[in-house]
Amino acid sequence: MIDFIDYLLGGISSGAIIALMALALVLVWRSTRVVNFAQLGQAMFTTYIALTVRELTGSWFLGLIIAMAAGLIVGVIVHFLVIRPVKRLDTSGAIIATFGVLIALEALAAMVWGGDPEAFPPPINNSGYEAFGRIWPFSPYDLLVLASVVVLVLALSVVFTRTNVGLAMRASAFNPEVARLSGVRVNRMLVLGWAIAGLVGAVAGVLVAPLSTLSPTSFDIFLVFAFTAAVIGGLDSLVGAVAFGIGTGLVIALVSGYSDSSNAPLVALVLLVLNLLFKPEGVFSHHKARAV
Amino acid sequence: MKYHLPLTHPLLQTVDISVSFGGLQILDDVSIGIPEGSVTGLIGPNGAGKTTVFNVMTGFVKPDSGKVKYEGNRLRHVKTHHLTKMGISRTLQGVGLFPSLTARENVMLGASGHVRSGIVADALAMPWTDAEQRHVREKAEAAMAELGVLSEADRLPGEMPYPVQKRVALARALVSDPKVLLLDEPAGGIGAADMQELGRLIRSWVPERTVLLVEHHMELVMEVCDLIWVLDAGKVIAAGSPEEVRNDPAVLAAYLGEDDHEDDHEAVI
Repeated sequence: MIDFIDYLLGGISSGAIIALMALALVLVWRSTRVVNFAQLGQAMFTTYIALTVRELTGSWFLGLIIAMAAGLIVGVIVHFLVIRPVKRLDTSGAIIATFGVLIALEALAAMVWGGDPEAFPPPINNSGYEAFGRIWPFSPYDLLVLASVVVLVLALSVVFTRTNVGLAMRASAFNPEVARLSGVRVNRMLVLGWAIAGLVGAVAGVLVAPLSTLSPTSFDIFLVFAFTAAVIGGLDSLVGAVAFGIGTGLVIALVSGYSDSSNAPLVALVLLVLNLLFKPEGVFSHHKARAV
Repeated sequence: MKYHLPLTHPLLQTVDISVSFGGLQILDDVSIGIPEGSVTGLIGPNGAGKTTVFNVMTGFVKPDSGKVKYEGNRLRHVKTHHLTKMGISRTLQGVGLFPSLTARENVMLGASGHVRSGIVADALAMPWTDAEQRHVREKAEAAMAELGVLSEADRLPGEMPYPVQKRVALARALVSDPKVLLLDEPAGGIGAADMQELGRLIRSWVPERTVLLVEHHMELVMEVCDLIWVLDAGKVIAAGSPEEVRNDPAVLAAYLGEDDHEDDHEAVI
């Protein structure tokens, strides 16, 4: 029983980070109906930028802020440079093109920063709290991760539910033509979706890096988890992405705890297949069904 | 055959519009005008091209030839999202509300074209400092009050009866304070009592606003319109007052010739 609690506690922060990554995928899907397989490549790239800033200035926080700004910019650049031109021809082509972006970013990162894994130490203590005579697998850093994710998700939900631009983004996601008729500048909303997704992904990258190491391909595995969470959540539901992101994190922690962490991706894929078999539209989706 | 009515002030007009899709002629030299301050009807059997006229006017469809004029100026390269800012508002066949947004949010969207602040400023603005947000909200509530649906503000479209959804859609079209309202079958799917109310409502907007009405329900068209254009197979076949159109032999022929299964048309015949 105490193992079970330990595993769950250990999975909370990675679940929160997966929730952010899933959120980024959902934001892009909602704006352009494209699954951005380069999302975590963008996050990897901006995390390297954070690492560089941190090495130069000694400030983790400044690194985070610069990475967020870079994530925003990279999102916009990818949208204008790759997605918009390709999508004009073919939507599925745009999805394939995101793989191209992923490979290009990984190659570029290897050229700039080298391909070897680099340490990205946590800014604060990452050893577990001690209480009731034992050490629990939940550290001050986990708390920082959790707090950051909560703040970001709350900020996003305020933007989406309480501002004109959030309203316009939700409308554009659902029905661009009607949104245009209502005077919404839909194309701007698409760009904004990619920008916010880039920012959210950048935060996820900086937060997840201390949990392992940073290399051009070290985030690839998280794409499997984040994609699973996003799809099960309904792919167009922000709430679904957060709920199933955390859920996926916890499942992975349990699987890794009771068996071996190398089984985690397999379990994620099994979840994905089950979802597609029994509830292909996702749990929180507005739409009745999706072609898969 | 072309009809040229003495249009003193056509606020919105099409001039010799032709549209074809894949070899099929949808509109053939269609010139119609909407006098400022009038309720103008556009009728015709199914497939006559009425909605295509709307689509050309709102820039959804680019005509092969001809032009659209608004306030005397030719409209070209109209971006759909600019329409509300220009004072043109359109409702869609059916309802066209966003099912995941509340009635209030749906109506607030209609004022989007009037939101001036940039996206970054807006995204960063906190709700309690956002005066513009409040302004949009007040406008939306005023429009909903005018349509008698303010009490539904926090409900989702799926939770309302169909006629109420139609009213919310009308409120969204009104909230941008348009000069011209293009209404695509506003009476579709609503009952007789609601239709009378709709007729009164439409009349109450003129002459401050101008209305173009595409509608199958002839009682409504005959009752509220000052001027009616009749399309058949992509051509204007008649125009005039309700009385003139009702007695026009070409109109009678067009409706009689149709394999008619809709009761509404009998009103014309």
